Amino acid sequence: MPEEGSKLIHVALKAERLFAIGPFEVTNSMVGALIAAVLLLAAAWYFTRSSSLIPTRMQSVIELPIELLAGIVTGTTSRWRGYVALVIGLFLMILVANWLGLLPGVGTIGLKGEVEGELIPLVRPAAADLNFTLGLAIVTFVVFVWWAIRLHGPVGYLKELAGEPRYMAPLMFPIHLISELSRLVSLSMRLFGNVFAGEILLATMLAGTTAVIFLVPLALFIPGMFLGLELLFGAVQALVFALLTMAYIILAIAEHGPNPSAEMDTGQLGSHA
Amino acid sequence: MDSNLAAGLAMIGAIGPGIGLGIGFSKAMEAIGRNPEAAGTIFVPYILGLALTEAIGIYCFIISIILIFT
Repeated sequence: MPEEGSKLIHVALKAERLFAIGPFEVTNSMVGALIAAVLLLAAAWYFTRSSSLIPTRMQSVIELPIELLAGIVTGTTSRWRGYVALVIGLFLMILVANWLGLLPGVGTIGLKGEVEGELIPLVRPAAADLNFTLGLAIVTFVVFVWWAIRLHGPVGYLKELAGEPRYMAPLMFPIHLISELSRLVSLSMRLFGNVFAGEILLATMLAGTTAVIFLVPLALFIPGMFLGLELLFGAVQALVFALLTMAYIILAIAEHGPNPSAEMDTGQLGSHA
Repeated sequence: MDSNLAAGLAMIGAIGPGIGLGIGFSKAMEAIGRNPEAAGTIFVPYILGLALTEAIGIYCFIISIILIFT
């Protein structure tokens, strides 16, 4: 049993620095993101090298999430060609990065650190670092602002922000502006909070079962349950990030006014046969 | 010690998303019960609403973690 005053687990809010290349510090979550990206690129290269129209078994398995997401995006709006690749790419990247954090060794194998002698893991799940999620959120933010400005012009975009009755503009303009900026914060914080909380949950469950280690099945079952929960939550958070990106882009493209274009069906998010 | 108390008090804010998620889920279940074939159509907007509501609870959690560890 741990003595009074000692913490059960060690939680690091910031990603720990592993080494530095000149002035550039490499943290362990960067290593995690790099591994996820390399995995995705290797899978992409391998499965498109010999892809056929009648898919093999492995190919249909890989095509499953892509078809699912592409079905959702194309079922929502007819102008999907510009951003369906971004949405699918975001989904796959966050999915692989989250699931990578569940492998044994991630977060546990590491170096002995100088700060209080705590363990510095070699690999950390990429989304457990606010820098990674903020970077993805900035990409989304730039994309949907860029689409809005490209389609409506900069003046048109500001007019959208001002709201419909023009005399309400001094009130509506700050509200709309802040709500657009808060999308950046909410996207990054949601993913970071979920993955970070999942890490803490797994560490706590694994550390807490040392008291019942004599009941080995129970001690293995409880962390296993939470591992499955993290599997589900990692996938759901990836889906949510991608779908929110799609929703923001659709909202940015949507034409308001007396004659909205007939192709826009923003009211049917999610209808896919 | 004070930061632990503050961290505990910060989690009172998770009451709101808890109630909201329960209400949202019950409405989704009601809708599926009325029209079982629409389960696929309801699923995607439901997951979206789920994540948006849960994010508020996550904000509370992040603040409390920051209070404990800094």
